[in-house]
Amino acid sequence: MTITEYFQLLFTDYTLRTITLGTAVLGAICGMLGSFAVLRKQSLLGDAISHAALPGIAIAFLITGAKDTNVLLLGALISGLIGTFWIKGMTTKTHLKSDTALGLVLSLFFGFGMLLLTYIQKQPNANQAGLDKYLFGQAATLVVSDVWLMTFVTGLALIILLLFWKEFKLMLFDADYTKTLGFNTRFIDITITFFIVLAIVLGLQTVGVVLMSAMLLAPAAAARQWTNKLSVMVFLAAVFGAFSGVFGTAISATQNNLSTGPVIVLVASVFVAFSFIFSPGRGILFRQLRFRKNRRELELKKTLQMMFGIAKTHENVSHPHSIKILNNFQGFTKKTIREIEEKKWITITGQEWALTQKGFDEAENMFNKSSDDE
Amino acid sequence: MSSPQIEIQIIAAVVAVACAIPGVFLVLRKMALISDAISHSILPGIVLGFFITQDLNSPLLIILAALSGVITVVLVERIQKTGLVKEDTAIGLVFPALFSIGVILIAKNANDVHLDVDAVLLGELAFAPFDRLIMSGVDMGPKSLWIMGVILLITITLLLLFFKELKVSTFDIGLSSALGFSPVVLHYGLMTISSITVVGAFEAVGAILVVALMIAPAATAYLLTSELKRMLFLSIFFGIFSAISGYWLAHWLDASIAGSISTMLGFVFLLVYLFAPSKGLISVMYRQKQQRTEVSLLTFLLHLNNHTEEEERHINHLREHINWQKIRANTVVDLALKNNMISVEKELVSLTEKGKNFTETALDYIITNKDEKIEHLKEDFFLFRG
Amino acid sequence: MNQKIAIQVDDLTVAYNYKPVLWDIDLIVPEGVLMAIVGPNGAGKSTLIKSILGIIDPIAGSVTIYDKPYAKQRKLVAYVPQKGSVDWDFPTTAIDVVMMGTYGSLGWIKRPGAKEKKASLEALEKVGMLAFKNRQISQLSGGQQQRVFLARALVQNASIYFMDEPFQGVDATTEIAIINILKELRKAGKTVVVVHHDLQTVPEYFDWVTFLNVKKIATGPVKDIFNDDNLTKTYGINYKVAVSK
Repeated sequence: MTITEYFQLLFTDYTLRTITLGTAVLGAICGMLGSFAVLRKQSLLGDAISHAALPGIAIAFLITGAKDTNVLLLGALISGLIGTFWIKGMTTKTHLKSDTALGLVLSLFFGFGMLLLTYIQKQPNANQAGLDKYLFGQAATLVVSDVWLMTFVTGLALIILLLFWKEFKLMLFDADYTKTLGFNTRFIDITITFFIVLAIVLGLQTVGVVLMSAMLLAPAAAARQWTNKLSVMVFLAAVFGAFSGVFGTAISATQNNLSTGPVIVLVASVFVAFSFIFSPGRGILFRQLRFRKNRRELELKKTLQMMFGIAKTHENVSHPHSIKILNNFQGFTKKTIREIEEKKWITITGQEWALTQKGFDEAENMFNKSSDDE
Repeated sequence: MSSPQIEIQIIAAVVAVACAIPGVFLVLRKMALISDAISHSILPGIVLGFFITQDLNSPLLIILAALSGVITVVLVERIQKTGLVKEDTAIGLVFPALFSIGVILIAKNANDVHLDVDAVLLGELAFAPFDRLIMSGVDMGPKSLWIMGVILLITITLLLLFFKELKVSTFDIGLSSALGFSPVVLHYGLMTISSITVVGAFEAVGAILVVALMIAPAATAYLLTSELKRMLFLSIFFGIFSAISGYWLAHWLDASIAGSISTMLGFVFLLVYLFAPSKGLISVMYRQKQQRTEVSLLTFLLHLNNHTEEEERHINHLREHINWQKIRANTVVDLALKNNMISVEKELVSLTEKGKNFTETALDYIITNKDEKIEHLKEDFFLFRG
Repeated sequence: MNQKIAIQVDDLTVAYNYKPVLWDIDLIVPEGVLMAIVGPNGAGKSTLIKSILGIIDPIAGSVTIYDKPYAKQRKLVAYVPQKGSVDWDFPTTAIDVVMMGTYGSLGWIKRPGAKEKKASLEALEKVGMLAFKNRQISQLSGGQQQRVFLARALVQNASIYFMDEPFQGVDATTEIAIINILKELRKAGKTVVVVHHDLQTVPEYFDWVTFLNVKKIATGPVKDIFNDDNLTKTYGINYKVAVSK
């Protein structure tokens, strides 16, 4: 199956449509809530939470013996929340730093989860197969009810988000100030954290424990580069997330033997790399170009200064001078002269140049300007 | 115990020690999560190295993979420098991308690469004894033991050689550059050693559990001591203990060895986290409660010291005015009485000579910002003994 | 002096991690003063403001704003936190930050409308930042950021203003602009409390001062109590170094 075939099938094949819809919704909710995680400097919390969810899945399976996704996800939610609160507890009650706390919860919970998973695999229980998909995600296993659940949670998150938009924004920017205005910051904090954990848990089946955090971060980090408005950022992150989900699933569905998680993450990473380089406001490329342009401007101005120095000696500033006088000035080239002429700072007639009034003002301004620029 | 069993335990112990040593420095330098990033991002390096060498135990592969670990660190630092995203986001963006590339490379070349994704996450410690190093027909033992042994030896040598430098640069970067040790060299040296260790340990315990072996022993030790040498020894001990006991747990449950080792690490950490003498949760909570009383007592004495007016010293005032329902006024008054800090006459509380003395000294210490001296103070005045 | 009492602090003790930072502070701030809180680093100046504002829970003691607890008088109080306490790379614009000042009076869920927007624009104009209203906050200079913060507090239209080191890292123009606004506020009968570092400018900028070093050293009119004696008590014998800094 090629990618084009995939998208053709999308309109006819029911299963394919379900899967695609599922990953799109998942990408959207992850991007949306991931923006908050990124802005709260909790980027790596997602990594810890997703790993911490693994033992929950295994224990839920051991208790119920069933493969019902919702039960497993409930287990994941509970153990993810335990991990989250333990991280908070460790950093407030002991002198362990947050990076250590995150790393501990991440690796220890995951290790315990792996112990349980390998234990389950050895059990004579026909149902056991399928827990593996939670490691790297298998979008193909999504069924309609999963998609409904995702859509429901996304809708709920969206409503909460719109309802408390103002409070969330305030809290993200300035928590202390939020408190002085009389808002219950604890409530806001717990709500945001809860929804982030929920989004992670929902993504485990599709993206997997190991790479879920990237699903949360990458769309948000990409979106941040294109806008300076929180609302636009959240919206863009949702769009990027949805696209990563759909493209990732499409690519992995058309290849044999590929888990969805890594592919989705790579697609999202491409979004990030592209945004880092090409975003007009913050991107590296345009920053470089602006830097070059500024330097060029500086060179031009230096030449203009030089001309100003010569022209100043005459009563009439527009008195023509020979271009040759400039020859012993470093950095002056024919190109510089032409560019200065284009800026209408000088006029050139034959082998002579003359400062214009505009050029004179510009040069004079440079002296005054340097002091009041902050 | 069969000999493969013994060999597995020895390998596990060596891996644990090799991970614990750089782990201590990562934890102290607040870079614990770098080990997470490295352990994931060496995967493409390992796969590419495997294409070239066709041997998972080749030193060249280890060097290539370790290089990709160092590249990760550099890449993360580069992204941080652009200021486009926050520091931790940079880590969170780089390693999943590299890890994904690795996983996809494995999947796309499944026929050529004898690495499967489970092994990537979990390692294959159980199979380690079967890949033997045979030199001119003589069986020298398992290959991975040799590899980890060499890595451990290098780590220990470097540790001994640069112990002083590492110590100074970990606790005081400014001082270390003033003394002429380049923090940059030490930083990348540590990153290189960590990368090499992770690559070596990777095959045995997998990508994520290597993080557990690095961070957990160090974090556990950190809750028991702040002294660097003791911390190193303790984390080595916790590492070995968890490795051996983890092996037997796995044996008993017939489950993954690496999973069991990290479960044991987690168990040991949890115990220490709860019960460590001065930094454990229970002791911290107890001390906070006690300190609350101490601070309240000092507040109370200071209040008496500040106010000569009778109404401020009336015993009822203490309940109403100072908002004392929070702090069990009676406990505080009792404590002060027991220590002969105050005397109560006709419902008026006043400071005794000893109380006055105590308050002034205490205040002195606090204003000069040396609150640890309060501990001496308590001893000097026999506070909380009677 | 028959002034009303704006802020009354009684026997306030605050501890971070149960280590005492403020001890048994009694403080009365009369209405309509422009007060500086001065003291060495670690003296608890910011902590005092934060515990008056309920950001930090004190261990003992009480605070009243016009005779009622802070929680009941929130709308009378505006706060300008330290500039360094927030992430200036946050995706938002100057006008958006100023609008945040209106959130408190709006309460939960309700969104700011045209009225709030107009007030915010006026506040921006007052601090001379109207031209930058749609500027991303990371692209403002330190002084401009501080002015945006001040505008946010002005929008709250409060009676008492608390400011945490508003002159830290700002240019001379901004410093003058801010102090002029503060003096205007005082003229309008508002009370302003400022955590301040530069001892030299105290007599010029303020009319009231509190010396603080874990406990309160002195409080009162600048002309009466801003003297060597109190400076020595607060900063130790090295206070002259602190002044000339």
